[in-house]
Amino acid sequence: MDRNQLVKWLKAPAKMGHKYSLHAVYFCTGCGIIEVPPSITARWDAERFGVLPTATPRQANLFLITGYVSVKTLRAIIRTYEQMPEPKYTVGFGSCPINGGMYWDSYNTIKHLDRYIPIDGWIAGCMPRPEAIFVAVTHLWTLIDKDMADGYKRYRKHYAAYRANQEKVLRGLDWPPLFPVEEQ
Amino acid sequence: MHVVWLFLYPIVALVVGVLFLGLSRKVMARMHWRYGPPILQPVIDIIRLFSQRSASHGRLFDLGIVLSLAGSLIIVLFLPFGDVAPLSGSGGLLVILYMMLLGPLGIALSAGESANPNASIGISRKLMLAIGYELPLLLVLLAFMSRYNTISIVEVVRLQRATGWSIASFPLVVSGVAYLLILPAILAIRPFELVQAPQEISSGPMVEYGGSYLALAKVQHALSMFIGISLSVNLLFGGASHPLIFLLKMLVILMLGLFVNAAFPRLRIEQAIRYLWRWPSLIGLVGLVLAVVIGR
Repeated sequence: MDRNQLVKWLKAPAKMGHKYSLHAVYFCTGCGIIEVPPSITARWDAERFGVLPTATPRQANLFLITGYVSVKTLRAIIRTYEQMPEPKYTVGFGSCPINGGMYWDSYNTIKHLDRYIPIDGWIAGCMPRPEAIFVAVTHLWTLIDKDMADGYKRYRKHYAAYRANQEKVLRGLDWPPLFPVEEQ
Repeated sequence: MHVVWLFLYPIVALVVGVLFLGLSRKVMARMHWRYGPPILQPVIDIIRLFSQRSASHGRLFDLGIVLSLAGSLIIVLFLPFGDVAPLSGSGGLLVILYMMLLGPLGIALSAGESANPNASIGISRKLMLAIGYELPLLLVLLAFMSRYNTISIVEVVRLQRATGWSIASFPLVVSGVAYLLILPAILAIRPFELVQAPQEISSGPMVEYGGSYLALAKVQHALSMFIGISLSVNLLFGGASHPLIFLLKMLVILMLGLFVNAAFPRLRIEQAIRYLWRWPSLIGLVGLVLAVVIGR
């Protein structure tokens, strides 16, 4: 850990802050959430990585999508994601958000989450163990360091496409676009 | 030198308060048998929060948090810190008593503007808790004023240097116990952590705070923690002749508070009010009567 490197702190304090203060939205989408309580409490202790669960999206900058995403949950996920202040990072947890997993044939879940909101990294497995969250967090540190965790920038850039995909699944989005969608 | 301290002291209070936050997170983690975050983790959090832009919910949302922070900074200037007391006017205790309500009030104004139901519940809890501990606090401070025959906190500290700690002197020990009983409520630690309560009401008044607003709220929380502990050291444990000894005494009080924080579950608001207006108020009243009768 380079948490103590003074030069890096002086050069880019904001980036180091985003790296080492990842506050995760405590948002339960599916069965994967069962791995989160042990990883934030005494057994695995996520706080030593600076990862802390918060109860509200306004305070958070890390969004763990834990488990399958039903169409109904997708609506809440998009609203939560859009309420988080930038820069924000999302990590898909488990195989269901990656490609549908065991819900491939389901009529009521979506298959590829990254078509609806941008994802910065995936944790594969069904279930991934809590250690995998920490591996993901350290990978996310590397990505932030190299400016590769740019999901929020992609969301801004390709918002029209994301919004179109969202509207395809959720007919009649009842909130206005987050960014201006120019007509083409 | 005096003017230098006037500007330096709030900064020292900020740094100490934020470091106390970090220390309390680390100590709580060790009590849970966890490794815990680094002690500077709140500093990292605050740097991160200041670098983020968040949604504002109106003019009052911006100003309320500033009001709360300003109120806390003014109280800090009235509290002696070792031999440093920048605003050592005559009426220190009364000013502190009035200004202590400004912290909760500013947060209430600010969070009320966000119109979030969770924030409303949090505000009502915060103000009720403030009313809950203001009554015993008033009784305790009145006992100190009548015993030492002064309303200046600097004078209280100076008199204690001659007569020994007030918690070790007879009539004031009763008021001292009452103060220690309400100290967790002033610090908003666990038996009285019901204002933020992330598990119940999504961190209460803080629910719409993000980015720099949350950073200011965190700084205000650190300052209010500094004020509560510093007031107890000045009133009960004789202040100190040097800022470093003062810090050491504050650290001891903080540790005691953390043990309470780690051992007790959260009270409901009506249980908290019932407790605050029953035992600390009763003991504070007895202490006031004793101080007035024996002081004659």
